[in-house]
Order: sequence, then structure tokens, then C-alpha cells
Amino acid sequence: MTDGNVTREIDHDEYDPVGTLALIVLYFVILLLMWGFTYFIEFLGNDPTPMLLA
Amino acid sequence: MSGTEYTASDLFVERFPDQARIVRIAFTNAFVALGVGALFGVLQALHRTEILRIVESPTYYTILTGHGVFLVISFTIFFLVGLYQWAVTDSLGRRPVDMRVTWTWLGLMSVGTLIAAIAILAGFLDDPPDVLGSELSADVLFTFYAPLQAHPLFYVGLVLFVVGTWLAGFDWFRSWWAWKSDNPGERIPLPTFMVLTTMIMWYISSIGVATAILAFILPWSLGITESLNPTLTRTLFWYFGHPVVYFWLLPAYLLWYIVLPHLSGGRLFSDPLARVVFILFILLSTPVGIHHQYLDPGISEGFKFIVMTNTMFLLLPSLLTAFTVVASMEHGARQRGGEGTFGWLTALPWRDPAFTGMALAGLVFAFGGFTGIVNAGMNINYLVHNALWVPGHIHTQVGTAVALTFMAGTYWLLPQLTGNRLVGRSVALFQVVLWFVGIIFMTNSMYRGGLIGMPRRTAEPQYAFDYEIGVGSVTELDVQLALGGTLLFISTLLFLAIVLLTLFNNDSEPIVDGTIPPALSGPEDSPRILDDLRVWVAIALVLVIFAYAFPLANIVSRGGLFGPDISPFPVVTDLASHPVTVDAVLTLQHGVATATALIT
Repeated sequence: MTDGNVTREIDHDEYDPVGTLALIVLYFVILLLMWGFTYFIEFLGNDPTPMLLA
Repeated sequence: MSGTEYTASDLFVERFPDQARIVRIAFTNAFVALGVGALFGVLQALHRTEILRIVESPTYYTILTGHGVFLVISFTIFFLVGLYQWAVTDSLGRRPVDMRVTWTWLGLMSVGTLIAAIAILAGFLDDPPDVLGSELSADVLFTFYAPLQAHPLFYVGLVLFVVGTWLAGFDWFRSWWAWKSDNPGERIPLPTFMVLTTMIMWYISSIGVATAILAFILPWSLGITESLNPTLTRTLFWYFGHPVVYFWLLPAYLLWYIVLPHLSGGRLFSDPLARVVFILFILLSTPVGIHHQYLDPGISEGFKFIVMTNTMFLLLPSLLTAFTVVASMEHGARQRGGEGTFGWLTALPWRDPAFTGMALAGLVFAFGGFTGIVNAGMNINYLVHNALWVPGHIHTQVGTAVALTFMAGTYWLLPQLTGNRLVGRSVALFQVVLWFVGIIFMTNSMYRGGLIGMPRRTAEPQYAFDYEIGVGSVTELDVQLALGGTLLFISTLLFLAIVLLTLFNNDSEPIVDGTIPPALSGPEDSPRILDDLRVWVAIALVLVIFAYAFPLANIVSRGGLFGPDISPFPVVTDLASHPVTVDAVLTLQHGVATATALIT
């Protein structure tokens, strides 16, 4: 299925996965934003739990 | 890693024709279940949103049960055994020690599925027949614990199926023992290592559901015992109910670790990290099940808190996987000429349906990780526990990370299993992208619907409720859910059509490179203790005892092994003695099943 298309061999010692690091940092930033969003929606956006339920 | 000595012309079906047949049969069973389960899925999506209703609402629970059982038991696990049969045979380069064992587990699993399926599908009959003294029915959902009760045949079918999987594991261990005696001192080939560790996890966890069924639920269903302790059986179910998620997921991990780097044009970044990840699943996947019971009475908050901590540790293997798999893809992309911090992403083989399917599945899995953390947190879980959010989560994880990876993996494996060229490669690419688009629509609707309190497991989510929605409208959510469900169904049909046509495409030569290149950092870089499976089993058992001994003792000491009294189950409402309101009629119309399912 895949043709490989390998244009250059990169061995263990010369490979530095900086792109992976960048993607993971991006993912964590998204996670932080989503946590912030959740906090905003679920806590800041609502009144305290009522003491009595009518 | 094995496979390197074979050329592309050495197809698996040519090297191991009898094993290819076993895998094909297992996959056929999986795909039949997928087709039926997907049909039930689209019926649910259209019914819930009131776009198309072809069954009565009480029958919705038959559809819901079939959707769950056929997809998360039959489809996933039949695919798993097929894939693992391939992985063990290919990586050890040998057939099973005794093929009779192989046929026995395949037969047990198939017969078990058939029996459970008959019990479920009987729910469509107006007047189901009496079998063994009770009416044939199994509207108990995938979470088949008390108080919902199925016909005994449903449980018998499940037991046969699970025993079949146990025997399959024994078969693979036997192959490995035979290989080990021929190759003393050799490291376990990575695919076989993944199979063995998955099965260890499965043995440890499935004993919970086996105990629940054999000791309590089946005798209760047969009328041998009059009652049971619902909290005990629920706890035993969830003891299995969370690790089973990893039983679905680990075959997808196997494909991500073994096949995806190769499809990307590179090599697995780290064999030792992959081994660590699978060992972490043996250790951490079982002592977490109580996190499904945060809202259950009868279990102390302290135990729930400990389980929440255990659950958060499970993020570790997922994050390790994210790093290793993405780094392997990046290696492939850079070998193919990719440059830059993000530019390498464009050098990946996005026109290959097997690659694109797996990559999109991984992307969805990363997003599902966030929603999983929400489910795992004790406080936020309370907000979403009984809401549509939870099916949203399971559809991103099992319904996409797993299912889409399996479909993409099939596109790579099928030519090697049949000797036939894959039919409609561009249609296959469209199919995996269509799945991705469908799941975005459907789960967006489910997550947002869940946050505004839409319930799960009900045919009538809008009944008697007004939802306050910040953005959009309930109609818009309904349309998204129905659209997403329909796209997923069409995608499934396309997948099944491609598979079927490929099976009959026997006058063509396959174009597939089945070789698996060795890892950049190979097994020689990992400590040997990683391969000493006895050590990890022992530690896992200690962790399970720590996590479960006290809660189980607590539950039994208060409720008894067979329960203090079963009288609340099943719930019987005497209509004649109550004023009949519209609400009451609707609640009863949906049956006790609905009401009880909603509180689980």
C-alpha cells in the first residue's frame, strides 16, 4: 500500500523528534484551555448549590 | 522484530494459509457484528432525535443492547483475536502447537455470540418464545448487571464467548512457550509481547465478570437463587468493565506501534517504551473500575478517591504512546523529506487509507483523552455521569480510536490475508475521512447535549424537559447527532463493501508491503526484566488486592453475598392503585429497564 518513498535514512542518533515535542506542547495548551473553559462554564458561570430544594 | 526476513511477495496467506483462514473467519464474524451494530446505531440516532421511528420506544432497548453487545463485545474482540492470531504467527514465524485448540476457541466464541445474539434479537418479537421456562429476552444493555435481568441463555452465550477468549490466550502462550524452547535467551518479539501482556490483563480482569455471572447473575436468572447483592455484582462488573476498554484499545495500540511507523515510511521510535506501556496496562488497568461507580451508594468516598488517583495514573501509558507513535510518524515523514517544526506533517502518506485512518483515529483518541479525564474526576463526573456526554466519550474512544484503527488496519492486512488487491483505494480513503467527519458531528452533539443535561440510554431525551443551551439549539444538536450517525452508518457500509469486493477480487496481485522494519531503539536497549511476565503478574495481583479487597469486604459485610433482599428488583408498579398521569404512563411504557438504566 505505502510506497515508502524514503529519500534519506535517519538513524537513531541523528533523529531528534522536535515536531513531536511541538505537537505535544500544543496538545497540552489545548488541554489547559479546555480546563479553563470547563471551570468557567461549570463553576464561575453558575450560582452556588442551593441550600434548600423547593 | 520479525517480518524483516520476508519480502513483499511473501504474503502471510502464502506462508501460513491455515492461519490466514483463521484470521479471515474471525474478521468475518467481527464485520458481521459491525454491520448489525452499525444498523442499530443509526436507528438509535434517528429515533432519539425523532427524525425516523421505525420501532416502538420500548424496543429501543433491544436496539441499544444489540448496538452495545455486537459492537463492543463481538466486533472488537473478534477483530482482536484475528489480529492477535496474525501477530503471534507472523512475529514468532510459527503455527500454533495444536490447531485443534485454535479451532476450539474460535468455535466457542462463535457459538457463544450466536446464543447471546438470539437472546437479544428475540426482543424484536411481539411474542418471544419460552425457552428453559422463561421468556426469551435480553434487554439489559451492554452493562448487563442487576437489577436488569436477561434470559439465562444470554449469560450462557457470554460465558462461552469469554471462555473462548481465555482459550485463545492459552493458545498464544503455548505458541510462545514452544518458540522460547527453540530460541532460548531471545527477547520476546514485540507483537507477541503485546499479545501476551494484553491477555494477562484480560485474565486478571475478566475473572470479575465471570464471577458475577457464574456465581450470582446466572443462578438468579435461572431461579436457583432468589436474590443477589446488586452493589456486589455491579462492582464485579466494573472490575472487568474498565479493563475491557483496554482490551478493545490494545489491538489498536498494536497497530499504531507495529504498522503505523512502517506506513509513515519510518521505524518504531522505541521498542522498550512500547513494552513499558503494555506492562503499565497490566498493572494499572484493573484497580480502577470503581470510578464507574462514583454515583453508586454503598461504596465509601475514600475508596472512590483512591480509585480516582489510580485512574489518573492511567494517563501515563496513553501519553507515552502519544509520544512514541507520533515520534515514529515524524521519523517516517523526515525520511520522506519532511522538514520544519510542523511542515513534516505534509510529508506523511495522507493518500494511503490505512495510514490516514489510523492517524485520524489517533487524533480523535487524543481529544477523547480530555473527556476521559473529566469522567475520571470525582467532582466533574457528577455533572456528566448519566448524561449524553458519556456515550460521546465512548464513541470517540472505542467508536473511533479503536473502530477506525481496525478498519484502517484491515485495509493493510486484507491483501496479505487473501492474496487479493484492495478494491477501491480512493473509496477507502473517502471512507475513513467520512468516519472522521461523522464522529465530529455526532460527538460534538453528544458532548454538548451532555453538558446541558440530556440523559443517555433513553429513547425520549426531550420528554418533559426544557434544556437551557448557551449556543445553538436542541434542534441543532439533534440534527448534528442524526447527521453524524448517518455518516457513520454510510461509512460502515462503504467499509463492508470494500472488504467484500476485495474478498472476491482474486484475479489481481496485491500491492502491499508487509515487512515490518526493526525499531530505532530495539529490544536490546530495554532491561530484560520487562520480559519476565511473572513479575508483572505478581505486582498486578497485589495492586488488585489493595484496590478491591476492602471495598468488596465492605459491600459483602453490609449487603451479604446474595443480598439482604431482592424485593426492589424488579420494580413492580401497580397501576390500578395510582392515579395514572401522562408521566407515569410514559415511564411505564419504556419499562422498568429505562428507569433503572437511567440511574446507573
